[in-house]
Amino acid sequence: MTLSDYFEGERLLKKYGISSIRSWYVDSAEEAISKANGNPIVMKVITEKALHKSKSGLVELDLKTDQEIKSAFKSLSAKAAKLKPYKIIVQEMSKGGIEVIIGGKTDPQFGKVILLGLGGIYVEAFKDFAIRVCPINKNDASSMIDNLKSENVITYGSENRKMLEGLLLKVSDMLTHTDLKELDLNPVILRKDDYDVVDIRILK
Amino acid sequence: MPVDLKYMLNPKSVAIIGASKNPEKVGHIILQNYINSGYSGKLFAVNKDAESILGVKAYAHVGEIKEKLDLAVIAIPAPFVPAVLEECGRAGVKSTIVVTAGFEEIGQKELQEQIVSISEKYKMPMLGPNCLGVIDTRARTDTLFLPTYKLSKPGVGYVSFISQSGAVGSTILDLIAGEGFGLSKFISYGNAAYVDESDILEYLMNDEDTKVIIMYLEGIKNGKKFIEVAKKVTKKKPVVVLKGGRTSVGQQATLSHTASLAGDYQVYEGVFKQFGFTIANDLNELLYYAKVLVSEPAPSGNRVGIITNGGGAGVITTDSVGFVKTLKLAELSKKSQEILRKKMPPLVNIRIPLDLAGDAGGDRYETAVSVLKDDENVDMIIVIALFQTPGADSSVVAKLVHFKADITKPMIVISIGAEYTQVHNKMMEESGLPVYDSPLAAVNSLAELFKYYSYKNQK
Repeated sequence: MTLSDYFEGERLLKKYGISSIRSWYVDSAEEAISKANGNPIVMKVITEKALHKSKSGLVELDLKTDQEIKSAFKSLSAKAAKLKPYKIIVQEMSKGGIEVIIGGKTDPQFGKVILLGLGGIYVEAFKDFAIRVCPINKNDASSMIDNLKSENVITYGSENRKMLEGLLLKVSDMLTHTDLKELDLNPVILRKDDYDVVDIRILK
Repeated sequence: MPVDLKYMLNPKSVAIIGASKNPEKVGHIILQNYINSGYSGKLFAVNKDAESILGVKAYAHVGEIKEKLDLAVIAIPAPFVPAVLEECGRAGVKSTIVVTAGFEEIGQKELQEQIVSISEKYKMPMLGPNCLGVIDTRARTDTLFLPTYKLSKPGVGYVSFISQSGAVGSTILDLIAGEGFGLSKFISYGNAAYVDESDILEYLMNDEDTKVIIMYLEGIKNGKKFIEVAKKVTKKKPVVVLKGGRTSVGQQATLSHTASLAGDYQVYEGVFKQFGFTIANDLNELLYYAKVLVSEPAPSGNRVGIITNGGGAGVITTDSVGFVKTLKLAELSKKSQEILRKKMPPLVNIRIPLDLAGDAGGDRYETAVSVLKDDENVDMIIVIALFQTPGADSSVVAKLVHFKADITKPMIVISIGAEYTQVHNKMMEESGLPVYDSPLAAVNSLAELFKYYSYKNQK
């Protein structure tokens, strides 16, 4: 299994109507500062060797000043030196919301499956998730949300629920038509009217 | 093309290959069981060294039998099975059940492939190998090689049971025999070399004598085929499934969160939920859910009315309703409250749970059920009858059974206790009124009933 390039993943998502937060690879602190253009950014290390980016200290959030960006670049580069090959990516800072994971994999018995769960750092602590076989329909998307213990935490009412159902259908469509072994969109940050896909991990 | 199992379940003529005079041999017990069940078709024994066994004429070879055979039950050592299957194929036998073990389950993959290819060559469906075979209570067929004194056999009913494992299968059969709802068909399919779980599900889906399917499985032979059948079967009738083997040993290291969460069982569970299966987590849940699904109609909603003759039991049952996300406690309509206030003694509090008090006999139950069954705010009824109380006796049973005949809402009973209680429970169960010995099990069963019909009716 090999990790796909981040931007290849971004293009794939876009093809299925799924938007993700703006991101750029950077080779230097100066480049990061220019991409930030005065806005707060996130900086992280992309490497096949670390699954838990935040747990491994490979994510720096909410970098506002040039000084913060410079020191984040320096410290992440140092940590990543042991995890070659790696790349450093900067992203717009998400406005925040509820973190979910939407994922998929190719199951040896049933083929492509899609997963929805409480996301971010809670994924493994609470293991609150639902799985369905692709392709899913509207009822399936809705029952995936119903199946979560955190149902009331991750949805803010009917409009927001509809948005999440729609997103699940798009991801199912993408999984059904794409040759991949594993997919993590984790976290996807949900708000009342919109969402940010903040991290993309595709294994082929 | 679906595999037709009618020749295995309801054969007009059967040969037991490997029938023996020795009462300890599997072939002897199978023949004995056919005779004991009152099988009325033509029965033949195949054995090289005997003229007749248990009064049944024996032949040296299946080819010597002049009758057309619907089924051959094969109970001989594994290495001899291919040659005998070949003989069956040439003789035009319509189907076979190979109870013999010693194939893929112990690494004899080639031997198993050999018997599959012979069966395919003659288009002769084969059940097994390494299985217990079948019971059909209406056709009075029984290929189980378990002596009748070892396990009770269930009466005739509308629940059919599919089991991959023979031992768990016979244990559950024994448990079903202790329930009032009875059995339609039992099919133990072992290694699923030819006929697999999807073929059996599809057959039972179209079987008029099967209203509920329960199944024990550890794995599925072909996931895509299973999904195609799963989509159809649960739209016609409920399937309760218990999956063994949930903890995966040696799960591969994964590079994503999704793959680390979505282990083999989690994917199975997702498939079961997606296609409307009722999931049992233990043997007793298979029976609890089968019982409510086979006897109760679709509920009109999720509001549960509770009638009790014990305050505490009413509270515990109300708590159980609270534990279940999908159910709600019903509130009595104004009209019901007025009628009950007039008819009940002053010590009865007119609210759900409706506590009829310890001196309640059949008449008070009759009043309560007749009001709740017509109350539009009540979708399902739980009747708690504690027979240790001063008032409860057979009059309660008589009234409840009477309602069962024409009530259009689901109604189940909670009744807990030893001998005196058990006598009454048996009377109710035999009349098709589901009885539970645990409030939580009763409430969970109604929740599964509600969930199944919500799935079935969704567009």
